[in-house]
Amino acid sequence: MNTAIITISNRDNARYHVDSRKPLLDSLRAQGVDLPYGCKYGGCITCAAKLILGEVNQKPQVALNNRQINDGYVILCVARALTDCTFDIGVESHDKLYRNPFLDPLAPHELKADIAQPLEPET
Amino acid sequence: MECCGPGYASPAEAMKAPKEKLLYTIAIYTGTGIQKPDYLATIDNDSDSPTYSQVISRLEMPGIGDELHHMGWNACSSCNNDASMQRKYLIVPGVRSSTLHIVDCATDPRNPTLFKVIEGSDIKTKTNLSAPHTVHCLGSEIIISMLGDAQGNAPGGYLHLDKNFQILGRWENSMGDIKFGYDFWYQPRHNIMVSSEWAAPNTFMPGFDLEEVGHLKYGREIHFWDFKEKVPKQTMYLGEDGLIPLEVRFHHDPDSSHGFVGAALSANIIHWWKDKNSEWQWEKIIDVDNEPHPEWPIPVPGVISVILLSIDDKFLYFCNWLHGDIRQYDITDPHNPKFTGQVWVGGLLGKAPEVNGVKITGGPQMIQLSLDGQRLYVTTSLFSTWDNQFYPEIRTNGGVMLQVDCDTENGGMKINENFLVNFGEEPNGPSRCHETRYPGGDCTSDIWI
Repeated sequence: MNTAIITISNRDNARYHVDSRKPLLDSLRAQGVDLPYGCKYGGCITCAAKLILGEVNQKPQVALNNRQINDGYVILCVARALTDCTFDIGVESHDKLYRNPFLDPLAPHELKADIAQPLEPET
Repeated sequence: MECCGPGYASPAEAMKAPKEKLLYTIAIYTGTGIQKPDYLATIDNDSDSPTYSQVISRLEMPGIGDELHHMGWNACSSCNNDASMQRKYLIVPGVRSSTLHIVDCATDPRNPTLFKVIEGSDIKTKTNLSAPHTVHCLGSEIIISMLGDAQGNAPGGYLHLDKNFQILGRWENSMGDIKFGYDFWYQPRHNIMVSSEWAAPNTFMPGFDLEEVGHLKYGREIHFWDFKEKVPKQTMYLGEDGLIPLEVRFHHDPDSSHGFVGAALSANIIHWWKDKNSEWQWEKIIDVDNEPHPEWPIPVPGVISVILLSIDDKFLYFCNWLHGDIRQYDITDPHNPKFTGQVWVGGLLGKAPEVNGVKITGGPQMIQLSLDGQRLYVTTSLFSTWDNQFYPEIRTNGGVMLQVDCDTENGGMKINENFLVNFGEEPNGPSRCHETRYPGGDCTSDIWI
Protein backbone atom coordinates (compact mmCIF):
# COMPACT_ATOMS: atom_id res chain seq x y z
CA MET A 1 0.00 0.00 0.00
CA ASN A 2 1.22 3.48 -0.85
CA THR A 3 -0.91 5.31 1.65
CA ALA A 4 -0.12 6.81 5.02
CA ILE A 5 -2.26 8.35 7.73
CA ILE A 6 -1.33 11.91 8.68
CA THR A 7 -2.53 13.27 12.00
CA ILE A 8 -2.51 17.04 12.59
CA SER A 9 -2.13 17.38 16.34
CA ASN A 10 -2.82 21.12 16.51
CA ARG A 11 -6.01 20.74 14.45
CA ASP A 12 -7.88 18.53 16.92
CA ASN A 13 -5.89 15.49 15.77
CA ALA A 14 -7.61 15.54 12.39
CA ARG A 15 -6.57 12.50 10.29
CA TYR A 16 -5.99 12.33 6.56
CA HIS A 17 -5.09 9.48 4.22
CA VAL A 18 -2.35 10.51 1.80
CA ASP A 19 -0.59 8.92 -1.15
CA SER A 20 2.97 8.43 0.07
CA ARG A 21 4.29 9.02 -3.46
CA LYS A 22 2.99 12.59 -3.48
CA PRO A 23 4.21 15.67 -1.62
CA LEU A 24 2.38 16.10 1.66
CA LEU A 25 1.47 19.71 0.88
CA ASP A 26 -0.46 18.72 -2.25
CA SER A 27 -2.24 15.80 -0.60
CA LEU A 28 -3.27 17.71 2.49
CA ARG A 29 -4.36 20.84 0.64
CA ALA A 30 -6.44 18.68 -1.72
CA GLN A 31 -8.30 17.47 1.37
CA GLY A 32 -8.97 20.98 2.58
CA VAL A 33 -6.14 21.54 5.06
CA ASP A 34 -5.30 25.25 5.01
CA LEU A 35 -1.49 25.27 4.86
CA PRO A 36 0.99 28.06 4.16
CA TYR A 37 3.36 27.62 1.23
CA GLY A 38 5.54 29.69 -1.09
CA CYS A 39 8.02 28.38 -3.64
CA LYS A 40 6.75 24.78 -3.94
CA TYR A 41 10.23 23.44 -4.69
CA GLY A 42 11.58 23.01 -1.17
CA GLY A 43 13.64 26.19 -1.00
CA CYS A 44 11.76 28.86 0.91
CA ILE A 45 10.67 27.38 4.32
CA THR A 46 7.17 28.97 4.24
CA CYS A 47 5.46 25.54 4.39
CA ALA A 48 7.57 24.12 7.23
CA ALA A 49 5.71 21.92 9.74
CA LYS A 50 6.97 20.10 12.80
CA LEU A 51 7.06 16.31 12.72
CA ILE A 52 6.15 14.85 16.09
CA LEU A 53 5.92 11.17 15.17
CA GLY A 54 6.81 9.16 12.08
CA GLU A 55 9.28 9.38 9.22
CA VAL A 56 9.40 11.34 5.98
CA ASN A 57 11.62 11.55 2.93
CA GLN A 58 12.40 15.22 2.33
CA LYS A 59 15.62 14.86 0.36
CA PRO A 60 14.72 17.54 -2.24
CA GLN A 61 14.46 20.27 0.41
CA VAL A 62 17.29 22.81 0.56
CA ALA A 63 15.76 25.32 2.99
CA LEU A 64 16.45 23.75 6.37
CA ASN A 65 19.70 23.75 8.27
CA ASN A 66 20.62 20.70 10.30
CA ARG A 67 19.46 22.24 13.56
CA GLN A 68 16.00 22.80 12.10
CA ILE A 69 15.94 19.22 10.82
CA ASN A 70 16.97 17.94 14.25
CA ASP A 71 14.14 19.99 15.74
CA GLY A 72 11.72 18.04 13.56
CA TYR A 73 10.99 20.50 10.79
CA VAL A 74 9.74 19.18 7.48
CA ILE A 75 9.27 21.03 4.20
CA LEU A 76 5.81 19.81 3.23
CA CYS A 77 5.92 20.92 -0.40
CA VAL A 78 8.53 18.27 -1.24
CA ALA A 79 8.30 15.77 1.66
CA ARG A 80 6.69 12.35 1.27
CA ALA A 81 5.47 10.22 4.16
CA LEU A 82 7.45 7.01 4.75
CA THR A 83 5.22 5.96 7.65
CA ASP A 84 2.09 7.28 9.34
CA CYS A 85 3.00 10.69 10.75
CA THR A 86 1.83 13.24 13.30
CA PHE A 87 2.51 16.96 12.65
CA ASP A 88 2.00 20.36 14.16
CA ILE A 89 1.30 22.75 11.26
CA GLY A 90 1.33 26.46 10.54
CA VAL A 91 3.20 29.21 12.34
CA GLU A 92 2.19 27.80 15.73
CA SER A 93 4.70 25.05 14.96
CA HIS A 94 7.47 27.55 14.11
CA ASP A 95 8.62 28.21 17.70
CA LYS A 96 12.10 26.86 16.98
CA LEU A 97 12.23 27.57 13.25
CA TYR A 98 13.42 31.18 13.51
CA ARG A 99 16.28 32.34 15.70
CA ASN A 100 18.30 35.52 15.97
CA PRO A 101 21.47 34.50 14.11
CA PHE A 102 23.70 36.82 16.13
CA LEU A 103 22.46 35.71 19.55
CA ASP A 104 22.20 32.01 18.79
CA PRO A 105 24.86 30.95 16.28
CA LEU A 106 24.98 27.56 14.63
CA ALA A 107 27.70 25.02 15.28
CA PRO A 108 29.51 23.74 12.18
CA HIS A 109 27.47 20.52 12.16
CA GLU A 110 24.21 22.49 12.40
CA LEU A 111 24.60 24.32 9.07
CA LYS A 112 22.76 23.39 5.89
CA ALA A 113 23.76 20.01 4.51
CA ASP A 114 25.98 21.34 1.70
CA ILE A 115 28.30 23.21 4.08
CA ALA A 116 27.88 21.35 7.38
CA GLN A 117 30.89 19.63 8.91
CA PRO A 118 30.45 16.18 10.41
CA LEU A 119 30.04 16.20 14.17
CA GLU A 120 33.33 15.08 15.72
CA PRO A 121 32.74 12.07 17.94
CA GLU A 122 33.54 12.80 21.58
CA THR A 123 36.82 11.29 22.65
CA MET B 1 1.99 67.18 -31.99
CA GLU B 2 2.39 67.90 -28.34
CA CYS B 3 4.89 65.78 -26.50
CA CYS B 4 4.77 63.52 -24.45
CA GLY B 5 5.02 60.08 -23.12
CA PRO B 6 5.18 59.17 -19.46
CA GLY B 7 7.36 60.80 -16.86
CA TYR B 8 9.39 63.95 -17.17
CA ALA B 9 11.86 65.42 -19.63
CA SER B 10 14.54 65.68 -16.94
CA PRO B 11 15.08 65.23 -13.20
CA ALA B 12 14.63 69.01 -12.84
CA GLU B 13 11.21 68.76 -14.47
CA ALA B 14 10.30 65.81 -12.23
CA MET B 15 10.95 67.97 -9.17
CA LYS B 16 8.12 70.27 -10.25
CA ALA B 17 5.55 67.46 -10.34
CA PRO B 18 2.41 67.85 -8.25
CA LYS B 19 2.51 66.48 -4.72
CA GLU B 20 1.75 62.73 -4.49
CA LYS B 21 -1.81 62.29 -3.20
CA LEU B 22 -1.92 58.50 -3.44
CA LEU B 23 0.66 55.98 -2.27
CA TYR B 24 0.86 52.33 -3.21
CA THR B 25 2.61 49.82 -1.00
CA ILE B 26 2.57 46.07 -0.92
CA ALA B 27 1.45 44.30 2.23
CA ILE B 28 2.19 40.68 3.00
CA TYR B 29 0.59 37.85 4.91
CA THR B 30 3.17 35.34 3.70
CA GLY B 31 5.00 33.99 6.74
CA THR B 32 2.65 35.70 9.21
CA GLY B 33 0.34 32.77 9.95
CA ILE B 34 -2.63 34.50 8.33
CA GLN B 35 -3.81 32.44 5.39
CA LYS B 36 -4.72 35.32 3.13
CA PRO B 37 -3.22 36.63 -0.10
CA ASP B 38 -0.67 39.42 -0.08
CA TYR B 39 -2.10 42.66 -1.45
CA LEU B 40 -1.41 46.06 -2.94
CA ALA B 41 -2.61 48.75 -0.53
CA THR B 42 -3.63 52.19 -1.77
CA ILE B 43 -3.20 54.97 0.78
CA ASP B 44 -4.89 58.34 0.70
CA ASN B 45 -2.17 60.98 1.11
CA ASP B 46 -4.31 64.07 0.54
CA SER B 47 -4.19 65.95 3.84
CA ASP B 48 -7.52 67.63 3.03
CA SER B 49 -9.31 64.32 2.57
CA PRO B 50 -11.42 62.66 5.30
CA THR B 51 -9.57 59.39 4.64
CA TYR B 52 -6.09 60.97 4.80
CA SER B 53 -3.43 58.56 6.07
CA GLN B 54 -5.70 55.52 5.67
CA VAL B 55 -5.71 52.49 3.40
CA ILE B 56 -8.57 53.19 0.98
CA SER B 57 -8.40 50.07 -1.17
CA ARG B 58 -6.76 46.65 -1.11
CA LEU B 59 -6.09 44.60 -4.22
CA GLU B 60 -5.62 40.99 -3.16
CA MET B 61 -3.44 38.78 -5.31
CA PRO B 62 -5.05 35.61 -6.68
CA GLY B 63 -2.83 33.19 -4.75
CA ILE B 64 -1.32 32.97 -1.28
CA GLY B 65 2.36 32.82 -0.41
CA ASP B 66 3.67 35.17 -3.12
CA GLU B 67 5.67 37.39 -0.77
CA LEU B 68 5.19 40.62 -2.67
CA HIS B 69 8.32 42.70 -2.20
CA HIS B 70 9.48 45.22 -4.82
CA MET B 71 7.60 46.51 -7.85
CA GLY B 72 8.03 48.74 -10.86
CA TRP B 73 6.17 50.57 -13.62
CA ASN B 74 5.65 49.42 -17.18
CA ALA B 75 6.96 52.80 -18.35
CA CYS B 76 8.91 55.69 -16.86
CA SER B 77 10.74 58.81 -17.99
CA SER B 78 12.93 56.60 -20.17
CA CYS B 79 10.12 56.79 -22.75
CA ASN B 80 9.19 60.41 -22.11
CA ASN B 81 9.39 61.13 -25.84
CA ASP B 82 7.16 58.17 -26.82
CA ALA B 83 3.57 59.42 -26.85
CA SER B 84 2.29 55.89 -27.42
CA MET B 85 3.42 54.85 -23.94
CA GLN B 86 1.62 55.42 -20.64
CA ARG B 87 2.63 54.85 -17.02
CA LYS B 88 -0.33 52.62 -16.38
CA TYR B 89 0.70 49.26 -14.98
CA LEU B 90 2.62 48.30 -11.88
CA ILE B 91 4.47 45.02 -12.21
CA VAL B 92 4.19 43.42 -8.77
CA PRO B 93 6.27 40.24 -8.45
CA GLY B 94 6.02 37.54 -5.79
CA VAL B 95 9.54 36.62 -4.70
CA ARG B 96 8.55 33.17 -3.43
CA SER B 97 5.95 32.21 -6.05
CA SER B 98 7.87 33.88 -8.93
CA THR B 99 4.45 35.02 -10.21
CA LEU B 100 4.20 38.50 -11.78
CA HIS B 101 1.03 40.51 -11.20
CA ILE B 102 0.34 43.26 -13.71
CA VAL B 103 -1.82 45.83 -11.96
CA ASP B 104 -3.74 48.59 -13.74
CA CYS B 105 -3.26 51.72 -11.61
CA ALA B 106 -4.37 54.27 -14.20
CA THR B 107 -8.00 53.42 -14.99
CA ASP B 108 -8.94 54.19 -11.39
CA PRO B 109 -5.85 55.16 -9.42
CA ARG B 110 -7.72 54.87 -6.11
CA ASN B 111 -8.79 51.29 -6.88
CA PRO B 112 -6.11 49.45 -8.83
CA THR B 113 -7.25 46.27 -10.56
CA LEU B 114 -5.50 43.12 -11.66
CA PHE B 115 -4.90 43.27 -15.40
CA LYS B 116 -2.87 40.13 -16.00
CA VAL B 117 -0.99 37.36 -14.19
CA ILE B 118 2.20 35.76 -15.46
CA GLU B 119 2.53 32.50 -13.59
CA GLY B 120 5.83 31.65 -11.96
CA SER B 121 5.64 28.18 -13.51
CA ASP B 122 5.47 29.79 -16.96
CA ILE B 123 8.54 31.93 -16.27
CA LYS B 124 10.47 28.93 -14.94
CA THR B 125 9.58 26.80 -17.96
CA LYS B 126 10.48 29.46 -20.52
CA THR B 127 13.56 31.01 -18.92
CA ASN B 128 14.72 28.72 -16.06
CA LEU B 129 14.52 31.75 -13.74
CA SER B 130 12.80 32.34 -10.40
CA ALA B 131 12.58 34.83 -7.53
CA PRO B 132 11.88 38.16 -9.26
CA HIS B 133 13.20 41.25 -7.53
CA THR B 134 13.86 44.63 -9.19
CA VAL B 135 11.70 45.84 -12.08
CA HIS B 136 13.04 48.52 -14.43
CA CYS B 137 11.58 49.63 -17.71
CA LEU B 138 13.96 49.92 -20.59
CA GLY B 139 12.35 52.30 -23.04
CA SER B 140 9.20 50.42 -23.95
CA GLU B 141 10.46 47.11 -22.58
CA ILE B 142 10.85 45.69 -19.11
CA ILE B 143 13.73 43.92 -17.37
CA ILE B 144 13.45 42.17 -14.04
CA SER B 145 16.32 40.82 -11.96
CA MET B 146 15.62 37.18 -11.11
CA LEU B 147 17.69 35.94 -8.20
CA GLY B 148 17.66 32.23 -8.92
CA ASP B 149 17.25 29.54 -11.51
CA ALA B 150 14.03 27.53 -11.48
CA GLN B 151 15.33 25.55 -8.49
CA GLY B 152 16.38 28.59 -6.49
CA ASN B 153 20.12 28.34 -7.18
CA ALA B 154 22.25 31.42 -7.87
CA PRO B 155 23.04 33.44 -9.89
CA GLY B 156 19.74 33.60 -11.78
CA GLY B 157 19.58 36.27 -14.48
CA TYR B 158 17.31 38.85 -16.04
CA LEU B 159 13.80 38.32 -17.37
CA HIS B 160 12.92 40.33 -20.46
CA LEU B 161 9.29 41.28 -21.15
CA ASP B 162 7.92 43.32 -24.01
CA LYS B 163 5.55 46.22 -23.45
CA ASN B 164 2.58 43.84 -23.71
CA PHE B 165 4.05 41.68 -20.94
CA GLN B 166 4.96 38.81 -23.22
CA ILE B 167 7.99 36.83 -22.06
CA LEU B 168 10.81 37.47 -24.53
CA GLY B 169 13.26 35.28 -22.64
CA ARG B 170 16.50 36.12 -20.87
CA TRP B 171 17.65 39.72 -21.23
CA GLU B 172 21.35 39.13 -20.62
CA ASN B 173 23.66 37.47 -23.11
CA SER B 174 25.89 36.17 -20.34
CA MET B 175 26.10 36.24 -16.54
CA GLY B 176 29.88 35.92 -16.80
CA ASP B 177 31.36 34.91 -13.45
CA ILE B 178 28.63 36.63 -11.42
CA LYS B 179 27.82 34.59 -8.35
CA PHE B 180 24.60 36.25 -7.17
CA GLY B 181 21.97 38.72 -8.28
CA TYR B 182 19.86 41.33 -6.55
CA ASP B 183 19.38 44.96 -7.62
CA PHE B 184 20.47 46.82 -10.76
CA TRP B 185 20.38 50.29 -12.29
CA TYR B 186 21.58 51.49 -15.66
CA GLN B 187 22.97 54.74 -17.04
CA PRO B 188 22.72 54.49 -20.83
CA ARG B 189 24.81 57.56 -21.71
CA HIS B 190 27.76 55.73 -20.19
CA ASN B 191 26.60 52.39 -21.63
CA ILE B 192 26.73 50.97 -18.12
CA MET B 193 24.59 48.87 -15.82
CA VAL B 194 25.61 48.05 -12.26
CA SER B 195 24.25 45.00 -10.44
CA SER B 196 24.61 43.92 -6.82
CA GLU B 197 24.46 40.66 -4.88
CA TRP B 198 22.22 39.25 -2.15
CA ALA B 199 22.36 35.46 -2.21
CA ALA B 200 20.73 32.45 -3.83
CA PRO B 201 17.00 32.25 -3.08
CA ASN B 202 17.62 28.91 -1.39
CA THR B 203 20.01 30.71 0.94
CA PHE B 204 18.14 33.92 1.86
CA MET B 205 14.53 32.80 1.65
CA PRO B 206 14.54 30.45 4.65
CA GLY B 207 16.16 33.13 6.83
CA PHE B 208 19.60 34.46 7.67
CA ASP B 209 22.28 32.12 9.00
CA LEU B 210 25.26 34.35 9.80
CA GLU B 211 27.69 31.46 9.29
CA GLU B 212 26.70 31.32 5.62
CA VAL B 213 28.38 34.69 5.05
CA GLY B 214 31.71 33.09 5.96
CA HIS B 215 30.92 30.19 3.64
CA LEU B 216 30.59 32.72 0.77
CA LYS B 217 26.87 32.10 0.41
CA TYR B 218 26.22 35.87 0.44
CA GLY B 219 27.46 38.51 -1.98
CA ARG B 220 30.41 40.88 -1.63
CA GLU B 221 30.88 42.07 -5.22
CA ILE B 222 29.26 44.52 -7.63
CA HIS B 223 29.28 44.13 -11.37
CA PHE B 224 29.68 46.66 -14.19
CA TRP B 225 27.93 45.63 -17.39
CA ASP B 226 28.26 46.63 -21.01
CA PHE B 227 24.64 47.69 -21.21
CA LYS B 228 24.29 47.41 -24.99
CA GLU B 229 26.09 44.09 -25.21
CA LYS B 230 24.23 42.81 -22.12
CA VAL B 231 27.34 41.20 -20.67
CA PRO B 232 29.20 41.88 -17.42
CA LYS B 233 32.61 43.38 -18.14
CA GLN B 234 34.11 44.25 -14.75
CA THR B 235 33.65 43.04 -11.20
CA MET B 236 34.55 45.07 -8.12
CA TYR B 237 35.44 42.85 -5.17
CA LEU B 238 34.35 44.86 -2.12
CA GLY B 239 35.44 42.27 0.44
CA GLU B 240 34.74 42.91 4.12
CA ASP B 241 33.77 46.50 3.28
CA GLY B 242 31.00 45.32 1.02
CA LEU B 243 29.26 42.36 2.63
CA ILE B 244 25.81 41.90 1.06
CA PRO B 245 25.65 44.89 -1.31
CA LEU B 246 21.96 45.57 -1.92
CA GLU B 247 20.26 48.67 -3.41
CA VAL B 248 22.06 50.20 -6.39
CA ARG B 249 21.41 53.86 -7.24
CA PHE B 250 22.98 55.87 -10.04
CA HIS B 251 22.67 59.63 -10.03
CA HIS B 252 19.43 60.62 -11.75
CA ASP B 253 21.43 63.05 -13.89
CA PRO B 254 21.89 60.92 -17.02
CA ASP B 255 25.30 62.44 -17.75
CA SER B 256 26.72 61.52 -14.36
CA SER B 257 28.77 58.37 -13.83
CA HIS B 258 28.45 58.47 -10.04
CA GLY B 259 26.50 55.80 -8.22
CA PHE B 260 26.12 54.23 -4.81
CA VAL B 261 25.35 50.91 -3.20
CA GLY B 262 24.62 50.08 0.43
CA ALA B 263 26.48 47.09 1.86
CA ALA B 264 23.89 45.77 4.31
CA LEU B 265 25.95 43.64 6.66
CA SER B 266 29.10 45.79 6.57
CA ALA B 267 26.83 48.83 7.08
CA ASN B 268 28.85 50.87 4.58
CA ILE B 269 27.98 53.08 1.65
CA ILE B 270 30.10 52.39 -1.43
CA HIS B 271 30.48 55.07 -4.10
CA TRP B 272 31.66 54.48 -7.67
CA TRP B 273 32.44 56.77 -10.60
CA LYS B 274 34.29 56.84 -13.91
CA ASP B 275 37.64 58.61 -13.65
CA LYS B 276 39.48 60.85 -16.16
CA ASN B 277 40.93 57.78 -17.84
CA SER B 278 37.47 56.23 -18.24
CA GLU B 279 38.27 53.66 -15.58
CA TRP B 280 35.60 52.75 -13.05
CA GLN B 281 36.68 53.38 -9.46
CA TRP B 282 35.06 52.68 -6.09
CA GLU B 283 35.54 53.84 -2.53
CA LYS B 284 33.85 53.49 0.84
CA ILE B 285 32.36 56.86 1.81
CA ILE B 286 30.25 56.05 4.89
CA ASP B 287 30.91 53.46 7.60
CA VAL B 288 28.20 52.98 10.25
CA ASP B 289 29.75 51.75 13.50
CA ASN B 290 28.30 48.67 15.15
CA GLU B 291 26.51 49.58 18.37
CA PRO B 292 26.67 47.80 21.74
CA HIS B 293 23.48 46.15 23.01
CA PRO B 294 23.02 44.96 26.60
CA GLU B 295 21.81 41.52 25.57
CA TRP B 296 24.10 40.91 22.60
CA PRO B 297 27.50 39.23 22.87
CA ILE B 298 28.71 41.30 19.91
CA PRO B 299 27.83 44.85 18.85
CA VAL B 300 24.80 45.17 16.59
CA PRO B 301 25.52 45.96 12.92
CA GLY B 302 23.36 48.65 11.35
CA VAL B 303 22.20 46.45 8.46
CA ILE B 304 21.68 49.04 5.73
CA SER B 305 18.65 47.56 4.06
CA VAL B 306 18.03 50.36 1.55
CA ILE B 307 19.54 53.52 0.10
CA LEU B 308 17.94 56.22 -2.03
CA LEU B 309 18.98 59.46 -3.78
CA SER B 310 16.85 62.57 -4.05
CA ILE B 311 15.90 63.32 -7.63
CA ASP B 312 18.34 66.27 -7.72
CA ASP B 313 21.12 63.94 -6.50
CA LYS B 314 21.84 66.26 -3.57
CA PHE B 315 20.85 63.95 -0.71
CA LEU B 316 21.50 60.30 0.06
CA TYR B 317 19.14 58.57 2.48
CA PHE B 318 19.54 55.16 4.05
CA CYS B 319 18.13 53.00 6.83
CA ASN B 320 19.88 50.97 9.50
CA TRP B 321 17.17 48.34 9.94
CA LEU B 322 18.64 46.83 13.12
CA HIS B 323 19.79 50.08 14.73
CA GLY B 324 16.52 51.87 13.92
CA ASP B 325 17.72 55.12 12.30
CA ILE B 326 17.18 56.78 8.96
CA ARG B 327 20.03 59.03 7.90
CA GLN B 328 20.34 61.90 5.47
CA TYR B 329 23.68 62.90 3.92
CA ASP B 330 24.43 65.82 1.64
CA ILE B 331 26.33 64.24 -1.26
CA THR B 332 26.86 67.38 -3.32
CA ASP B 333 30.47 66.21 -3.24
CA PRO B 334 29.93 62.45 -3.61
CA HIS B 335 33.45 61.73 -2.32
CA ASN B 336 32.77 63.66 0.91
CA PRO B 337 29.25 63.10 2.23
CA LYS B 338 28.06 65.35 5.05
CA PHE B 339 25.81 63.84 7.73
CA THR B 340 22.86 66.27 7.84
CA GLY B 341 19.89 64.52 9.43
CA GLN B 342 18.73 61.50 11.41
CA VAL B 343 15.47 60.17 12.86
CA TRP B 344 14.73 57.00 14.83
CA VAL B 345 11.94 54.50 14.15
CA GLY B 346 11.85 51.27 16.15
CA GLY B 347 15.01 49.21 15.90
CA LEU B 348 16.84 47.02 18.39
CA LEU B 349 18.68 49.80 20.23
CA GLY B 350 15.54 51.05 21.96
CA LYS B 351 15.88 54.68 20.78
CA ALA B 352 12.31 54.96 19.47
CA PRO B 353 10.10 52.07 20.59
CA GLU B 354 7.02 54.21 19.98
CA VAL B 355 6.35 56.77 17.23
CA ASN B 356 3.17 58.84 16.85
CA GLY B 357 1.57 56.80 19.63
CA VAL B 358 2.14 53.41 18.00
CA LYS B 359 4.55 50.73 19.12
CA ILE B 360 7.01 50.10 16.30
CA THR B 361 8.02 46.50 15.68
CA GLY B 362 10.84 46.24 13.19
CA GLY B 363 13.05 49.07 12.06
CA PRO B 364 13.10 51.57 9.21
CA GLN B 365 13.32 49.55 6.03
CA MET B 366 12.08 50.56 2.58
CA ILE B 367 11.99 54.29 1.91
CA GLN B 368 10.55 56.34 -0.92
CA LEU B 369 11.03 60.07 -1.41
CA SER B 370 8.68 62.58 -3.01
CA LEU B 371 9.88 64.06 -6.28
CA ASP B 372 10.32 67.47 -4.64
CA GLY B 373 12.51 65.79 -2.02
CA GLN B 374 10.49 66.94 1.00
CA ARG B 375 8.57 63.86 2.11
CA LEU B 376 10.19 60.51 2.81
CA TYR B 377 7.89 57.53 3.35
CA VAL B 378 9.25 54.65 5.41
CA THR B 379 7.98 51.13 6.11
CA THR B 380 9.25 48.68 8.70
CA SER B 381 9.25 45.11 7.36
CA LEU B 382 12.22 43.66 5.47
CA PHE B 383 11.36 40.11 4.43
CA SER B 384 8.99 37.72 6.19
CA THR B 385 11.54 35.18 7.37
CA TRP B 386 14.13 37.80 8.37
CA ASP B 387 11.44 39.80 10.21
CA ASN B 388 10.54 36.62 12.09
CA GLN B 389 14.16 36.21 13.19
CA PHE B 390 14.97 39.74 14.31
CA TYR B 391 11.58 41.19 15.22
CA PRO B 392 9.32 38.20 15.99
CA GLU B 393 6.62 40.40 17.56
CA ILE B 394 5.89 41.80 14.11
CA ARG B 395 3.62 38.78 13.65
CA THR B 396 1.11 40.22 16.07
CA ASN B 397 1.91 43.93 15.71
CA GLY B 398 2.29 44.22 11.91
CA GLY B 399 4.18 46.90 10.04
CA VAL B 400 3.70 50.66 9.83
CA MET B 401 4.23 53.41 7.27
CA LEU B 402 5.43 56.80 8.45
CA GLN B 403 6.32 60.06 6.77
CA VAL B 404 9.53 61.95 7.50
CA ASP B 405 9.68 65.62 6.53
CA CYS B 406 13.02 66.54 4.99
CA ASP B 407 14.64 69.98 4.92
CA THR B 408 16.05 70.28 1.41
CA GLU B 409 17.70 73.64 2.02
CA ASN B 410 19.71 73.15 5.18
CA GLY B 411 19.38 69.41 5.67
CA GLY B 412 17.54 67.79 8.56
CA MET B 413 14.67 65.38 9.08
CA LYS B 414 11.62 65.22 11.33
CA ILE B 415 8.90 62.58 11.67
CA ASN B 416 5.54 63.99 10.55
CA GLU B 417 3.08 63.73 13.41
CA ASN B 418 -0.04 63.65 11.25
CA PHE B 419 0.71 60.66 9.06
CA LEU B 420 0.71 57.04 10.21
CA VAL B 421 -0.64 53.93 8.55
CA ASN B 422 -0.78 51.08 11.04
CA PHE B 423 -0.82 47.77 9.18
CA GLY B 424 -1.31 46.07 12.54
CA GLU B 425 -4.96 47.07 12.29
CA GLU B 426 -5.77 45.70 8.85
CA PRO B 427 -9.17 43.99 8.45
CA ASN B 428 -7.69 40.50 7.96
CA GLY B 429 -5.14 40.92 10.75
CA PRO B 430 -1.64 42.35 11.07
CA SER B 431 0.18 42.58 7.74
CA ARG B 432 3.57 44.02 6.82
CA CYS B 433 4.23 46.77 4.31
CA HIS B 434 7.37 47.08 2.18
CA GLU B 435 8.09 49.08 -0.99
CA THR B 436 6.13 52.27 -1.79
CA ARG B 437 5.40 53.88 -5.16
CA TYR B 438 3.31 56.83 -6.38
CA PRO B 439 1.16 57.09 -9.53
CA GLY B 440 3.40 59.78 -11.05
CA GLY B 441 6.77 58.15 -10.51
CA ASP B 442 9.19 58.53 -7.66
CA CYS B 443 12.89 58.68 -6.82
CA THR B 444 13.67 55.05 -7.64
CA SER B 445 11.34 54.41 -10.58
CA ASP B 446 12.61 56.68 -13.32
CA ILE B 447 15.76 56.62 -15.44
CA TRP B 448 16.64 59.17 -18.13
CA ILE B 449 18.26 57.86 -21.27
